[in-house]
Amino acid sequence: MASWIPLWLHKLGSPPTFYRFAGTLRPWMLALALLFGLIGLYGGLVLAPPDYQQGDAYRIIFIHVPSAWMSMFIYGVMGMAAFIALVWRIKLAEVVAMESAPIGAAFTFITLVTGSLWGKPMWGTWWTWDARLTSELVLLFLYLGVIGLYHAFEDRRQGARAAAFLAIIGIINVPIVHFSVNWWNTLHQGSTVNLFGPSSIVWAMLWPLLCMTLATKFYYAASLFRRVRTDLLALEGGKDWVRKIAESEA
Amino acid sequence: MTSPGLATACAAMLRRDLTLAWRRRGDIAMPVLYALIVTMLFPFALGPEDTLLQRIAGGVVLVTVLLAMLLALDAMFSSDIEDGSLEQLVLAPRPLALMLGMKILAHWITTALPLIVIAPLLAGMLHLPGAVMPVLLLALLLATPLLSLLGAVLVALTAGTRRSGMLLALMLLPLCVPAVIFAAGAVAAAQQGLPWLAPLAWLGAALALAVVLAPLACAAALRIALDA
Repeated sequence: MASWIPLWLHKLGSPPTFYRFAGTLRPWMLALALLFGLIGLYGGLVLAPPDYQQGDAYRIIFIHVPSAWMSMFIYGVMGMAAFIALVWRIKLAEVVAMESAPIGAAFTFITLVTGSLWGKPMWGTWWTWDARLTSELVLLFLYLGVIGLYHAFEDRRQGARAAAFLAIIGIINVPIVHFSVNWWNTLHQGSTVNLFGPSSIVWAMLWPLLCMTLATKFYYAASLFRRVRTDLLALEGGKDWVRKIAESEA
Repeated sequence: MTSPGLATACAAMLRRDLTLAWRRRGDIAMPVLYALIVTMLFPFALGPEDTLLQRIAGGVVLVTVLLAMLLALDAMFSSDIEDGSLEQLVLAPRPLALMLGMKILAHWITTALPLIVIAPLLAGMLHLPGAVMPVLLLALLLATPLLSLLGAVLVALTAGTRRSGMLLALMLLPLCVPAVIFAAGAVAAAQQGLPWLAPLAWLGAALALAVVLAPLACAAALRIALDA
């Protein structure tokens, strides 16, 4: 019986264990992010052939699409952590949810900026009120709302719980917004990479894209670990294990 | 099956909030005045051409009503928090969600209903064709309770904070996008002589869902914000 798995998970939920765990894993995550990022960028910017229609301008896809995926992926992680935080009142889940929000907001912002840079040569405009662009903008506001609510409270844990609740409302809201905005107006192309069924993109362009996707995932993990570690130290300031760390590093 | 006690409590809650609002009638007039002023600014900013104003009338009225409601939302629980009666409500042996639902209803009657009453005037100022007016009113009747319900959840979340005005706007915006799209879509469709029932049906569906879920969410949010 693998009874050590639930035990290990329970232990991982305690701040000092997670602090050490994240500290050990973080350099590896960062290294993997750098490795995949460099390979992906080389593959995307140098090796991949130019597009028959968009020329070299399409190469922004290697930043734009992974960021867009991350903006949604991180919202999912945040929502799940928020749910765990509210139901089981686990402090670590609160921290993970709250520290995911700024990273997610940053990826959403990058998606919007690269999208508008790409839109200028392709569609002839920086911004258009297209369904996907609008949904992404709304997603940015959802992130900012969560961050704003978190910081509006004096008590950090109370703020984290309130913001976690808002994140869950947001998760219900995202598909509704996406659907209603789609009904309203659409110009953006459909997805070209499909998990199930054939993708309409050649392999030479696909593999750098996948590399970049992995790079952004690892970067998120590294960044999250660092933020969570800092936050845990601040939250648990008076505890024994923090004092020991502070003494050993002084 | 509801016990008579519950119905009495609901009625008492509603009567209390309406009485309180009636004693401060000036506050009820504020969102109405605000909506009038904002609507008046549009012809000044865009020029008094009938065709242009006619085309934007529906959307402007909807957004103006939304902003006026947003302005009034902040006050939904503030006086009850100050004098501690909200804590009493949380402790009361009645379902908190039901009591909050009554509060939301009272708030809708005192802020949104006056706005709906003057909506024809606002739309008239912008030359909205008379034939479209019933659709606009129907859209407002469905969209404003939806906004009150969603807004109540967010106001409850910010109940424990001091500065909440701008934050509330930031939080409400993503939630109200669908409501605005469907309400404005119905008005625009009616103006072009297209069928306008479908977007209104969507609004109605959303409202039905919100009536059931929002008071529950509001109660949960209030418990978090008051740390009860």
